[in-house]
Amino acid sequence: MGAKEDLEILDKITSEFNLECKVQRKGSIWLDTPTEGFVDFCKWLKEQGFEHLSAISAIDWPDEGTYQLAYHLWSYQDKILITLKVKIDRQNAVMDSVTDVWDGSAQAHEREIHELFGVKFEGNNNLTPLFLEDWEGLPPFRKDFNWREYVGGKYYDRENERERVYYD
Amino acid sequence: MKRAHRQTCSGFCREGSQSDSRRVDKGTKVTVKESTKLKRLIKAIWIFNWFNSCGFIELVPVVGSRWDMERFGMIIVGSPRHADVLFIAGYQTLKSIKRARRVYEQMAAPRVVIALGACTMTGGMYWDSYNTIKRLSDYIPVNMYIPGCPPRPEAVFEACGKIFQHVEEMD
Repeated sequence: MGAKEDLEILDKITSEFNLECKVQRKGSIWLDTPTEGFVDFCKWLKEQGFEHLSAISAIDWPDEGTYQLAYHLWSYQDKILITLKVKIDRQNAVMDSVTDVWDGSAQAHEREIHELFGVKFEGNNNLTPLFLEDWEGLPPFRKDFNWREYVGGKYYDRENERERVYYD
Repeated sequence: MKRAHRQTCSGFCREGSQSDSRRVDKGTKVTVKESTKLKRLIKAIWIFNWFNSCGFIELVPVVGSRWDMERFGMIIVGSPRHADVLFIAGYQTLKSIKRARRVYEQMAAPRVVIALGACTMTGGMYWDSYNTIKRLSDYIPVNMYIPGCPPRPEAVFEACGKIFQHVEEMD
């Protein structure tokens, strides 16, 4: 691992794609990617050695009205971590699935994000919730989800004197 | 033990009927004294454990050699269909409470549920969590709560001892 490999992969990316990217620190690259052609870009990256999708994380930006999805990719060969950052609309949160590229690991991560943020991944064949069966509220990890209010309404009885402490 | 609970907590145990304490023999009803039957019953108690979290950590020693619940004729069984008693410990999530109910429903009619830990009573430290249930008795009829976070093995034995004592004192 070293700065040389970082620059090599950066050069490759900038020559093949018109993307804004920077070396965050040694062995770690951040990339802002558009949603169009995202899956193709992922396929290309996998061919370059980024076989391992470590995680997908979602960041909620309610003021901007976007979700930011961060795909963390690892190359065993070059020992480089690439973070792909994609912004999608918050109200109509739809994203192309990368299950065709990374298969099982992508499947589980996408399923979790669908459960907690409500992002729909098109192409993922199983997005059933892992834990929140029969969930009725907003997706719980959204910043506008007021969990205290939700819990108070769902589990506690306001009329009950002894349960008032859960409201006040 | 079971019947003792039906008497003391009749509001909880709706299932089962009085007829199972009687036996029909050639057209004549022979009444087996309830307390006699119960005193036999508490000599062999089959338990099914449904543990979600840290309650399990403290309940393992109960089974182990130091506290050794087999001294009191209590034994763990692998299937809820064989069990007389259901031990539930720890918080139940929205997902696991469904399975817990299914386990409960599979148990044969005179059944006792003993809930362990603060989580089963009020949600415990998960009182404002969106995906754990707060009061177990809203979902499953509970016969006895054992407080603690999690309860010590001694507390479990104290609870069992109270039930045994109740049965022993029956006429």
